[in-house]
Amino acid sequence: MLKSITRAFGAAVALAVFAAHPAAAQEGKLVLYTSQPNTDAQQTIDAFKARFPKVDITFVRDGTTKIMAKLRAEMAAGSPQADVLLIADSVTMEGLKKEGLLAAHASADVSAYPAGIHDADKTWFATKLITTGIVHHAKAPFVPTAWADLTKPEAKGQVTMPSPLVSGAALIHAATLVGTLPGGWDYYKALKANGALAAGANGAVLKAVASGEKMYGVIVDFMPIREKAKGAPVAFVFPSEGVSAVSEPVAILKSTKNADAAKAFVDFLLSKEGQELALKQGYLAAHPQVDVPAGFPARSAIKLMAFDAAKALAETDANTKTFTDIFGQ
Amino acid sequence: MRAASKPGWIEREGRPLLALSLVLVVLLAALPIVRLVLAALGGDPPGQGFARLIGVALAARTLAALGETLLIAALSGAAAILLGGALALTLALTDVAHKRLLAFLIVMSLMVAPQVAALAFKALAGPGSPLLNALGLAPPLGTPNPMLSRGGIVLVMALHHAPLAAIAIAAGLASVPRAVIEAATSDGARPLALTRHIVLPMIRPHIAGACVLVAIAGFGNFGIPALLGLPVNIVTLPTLVYQSLASFGPTIIPDAARLAVVMALVAGLGVAASSLLARHSPEPLEPGEAMLPVCRLGVWRWPLTGLVWIAVVVMLLLPSAALLASALVPAYGMTLTLETATLSRFVEVLLRQSVTSRALVNSLLLAGTAALLLAALTPLVAYALTRAGRRWITPALAIAELTYALPGIVIAIAAILLFLKPLPLIGISLYATPAIILAAYLMRFFALALKPALAAMSLVDRAQEEAAAIAGAGLCSRLAYIVLPTLAPAAAAGGMMVFLLAFNELTVSALLYSAGTETLGVALLSLDDAGLGAEAAAVGVVATLIVAAIMIVLDRLAPWLPPGVLPWVVLAGAAPTSARR
Repeated sequence: MLKSITRAFGAAVALAVFAAHPAAAQEGKLVLYTSQPNTDAQQTIDAFKARFPKVDITFVRDGTTKIMAKLRAEMAAGSPQADVLLIADSVTMEGLKKEGLLAAHASADVSAYPAGIHDADKTWFATKLITTGIVHHAKAPFVPTAWADLTKPEAKGQVTMPSPLVSGAALIHAATLVGTLPGGWDYYKALKANGALAAGANGAVLKAVASGEKMYGVIVDFMPIREKAKGAPVAFVFPSEGVSAVSEPVAILKSTKNADAAKAFVDFLLSKEGQELALKQGYLAAHPQVDVPAGFPARSAIKLMAFDAAKALAETDANTKTFTDIFGQ
Repeated sequence: MRAASKPGWIEREGRPLLALSLVLVVLLAALPIVRLVLAALGGDPPGQGFARLIGVALAARTLAALGETLLIAALSGAAAILLGGALALTLALTDVAHKRLLAFLIVMSLMVAPQVAALAFKALAGPGSPLLNALGLAPPLGTPNPMLSRGGIVLVMALHHAPLAAIAIAAGLASVPRAVIEAATSDGARPLALTRHIVLPMIRPHIAGACVLVAIAGFGNFGIPALLGLPVNIVTLPTLVYQSLASFGPTIIPDAARLAVVMALVAGLGVAASSLLARHSPEPLEPGEAMLPVCRLGVWRWPLTGLVWIAVVVMLLLPSAALLASALVPAYGMTLTLETATLSRFVEVLLRQSVTSRALVNSLLLAGTAALLLAALTPLVAYALTRAGRRWITPALAIAELTYALPGIVIAIAAILLFLKPLPLIGISLYATPAIILAAYLMRFFALALKPALAAMSLVDRAQEEAAAIAGAGLCSRLAYIVLPTLAPAAAAGGMMVFLLAFNELTVSALLYSAGTETLGVALLSLDDAGLGAEAAAVGVVATLIVAAIMIVLDRLAPWLPPGVLPWVVLAGAAPTSARR
């Protein structure tokens, strides 16, 4: 009898060991819909494929609003293609969660992260901290250090920013600034009075400043820092009042056809290895113990403005309308 | 006593073929229009569809975009006619040098995709231009890029559509009989008077046709206003539909369909205008040999040749150089020097990013399949319609031309509406598959492939066919051995045009692409959107090189193709050797 108990125990241990190595088990197709830039999305799936070679992972990349439009069109047709979502902002994720379209990943390990950064119900998880600050051309007449500097006369007609109609980060940035800076929407009215242009997404802002057409821009941190490392004539500033941040959350869609691989993908992104991929790509990782990328100041020097995702979700339409009323689109 | 009426072709043998042709015409040309109108007039609550259509049509954003579109189309169309007409007349009537090469380059600037042209011109101007910076001529920092403006859009569109006008007018010039010109010159007419009083009146319908062509092209163009207008909030109707759909998703499709119907109505007016003008065209003269250049330039030969070269440099070579320069720097905005020049962006887009290499393959396959299918089917349709008679050919051609005149965005919306739900009988939805893009290409380019086939039907010898029929050959044998071989070169030419246009196409695929089905145009737009300007330029360079390679191959095949098939051969006018008498 002792022998059969030992054997059963040994088999259970072997099974447990097997189960603890999910790398061998995940396979099949996995489709990722993301608003990351093409090169980053490629690196992400390359790294995941290296860990899980049996999973045939592909991605579709577009701006957040466009990729969400695509997703909803496919859902309306009854054939959603995506398994996992990796989009810019938590407000959109909150919206999907409210509609019951996300699947919770209860066994995700979030012990290393500070509270409040992920969804409390584990339907979406932050993967990075992408802050929005100020980019300026290397030869700009003055170096801005605060958001208020963009309303100065020296910056007249030289400021460009992304439009919330196209960029999720821009919408969150507007909601954050309006909630934090004194005077709320007066800041944006002052920008408009100073000839600021709001059009396109962050990529357009980078191109405008890098080519010297505009001297200053409101933009996400990684773009100018990465392009500067390649040699582009731009520089990024974290303004003194603080920065807004989007967390590039990852979530599993309830309609996924490959839940195992999807969960493995989320776990991979949350693991130290996945977070260090963010570092390699030039982003500030959400994991507090991962180093900051080259060109960034220390974590303690980056001042994050407060942000309430649920409140921003409720006010999305009102904020978008006010922004377009001010900038006349 | 009533004479017994002979059974017509339809009764005798043509019913199945005519039925097939009509099915194709209905599926590819009529169906999208019908579906659009249904969506535009439908929605909740029922019965108020027309009111909703008027509501969207008269909304402030729509009217602003409509006004912008009409203004840009009118200005760029006028400039394109002037430039294109001047080029066509110069190449056909005078003895400038290098005609074949110049015509080839002029047509190539048309074959380069509009979004690539927009990217190239954007890279040519402004303080960040690598070319201007290398030459030390760049404007000071902080000045906006002049191309990102209404003027920039008009300029790029005019330069891009001028070859369209040139080809249309050159086709007209090729139909002016030599006998008329020789009669006039032997009567003592000077070249200028000859042109004004004889040549131009004779090609008036072709000039009118060219005007309608460039107006419709300017009206429906998407790539140029998307890249040059959207960054500065200049919105035309095609980009308005694209932005609305992109920002608000499928809830906006009924409104997008209404915008599409507005565009279709305006385009329809253009087609109606063109058919009215065609009705008043003078009686075509007996076609003889094509005319020879009448104007011996003498001492003005090389200066005028230089002028045409300058036009070609501005239209094609300078922007291509600017595009190449932006693709050779590691990051957008850097100055191009011997130290900074690198091929790393090409390596990145061709080898490392699977999206772009997949997009290249997708574009080749989709464009190739569409070209092959249309080249195979349109000769049959052309034969059936021609043999069936005026009663069938006129409405069929009218519907096909209307669908062709529709902007690509409209076709894309129609495709979404048609294929969003699973197909009846088969039960599979084509949405988010390559099939929906292929279907949209077939709808979009059907008329483009049909017209050369219809024109070539005049080459099919009726007597030869009837002799074969008397000898006992059935319809299939006659098609296989007489008709199709005669139509084959024109069908191939039509297929070639479809391939070149579909390969670089952006408008339709921008709305219909999905996971894994990106096309080359979509890849370029997506890279540009993400701020990866150098990578986008690399894709543009690769796309242009492929187009150039295909055109060179076709040029080498020219001796085996009948005249009138390759547009640049028509544009180049009569061969130089025969001009030297």
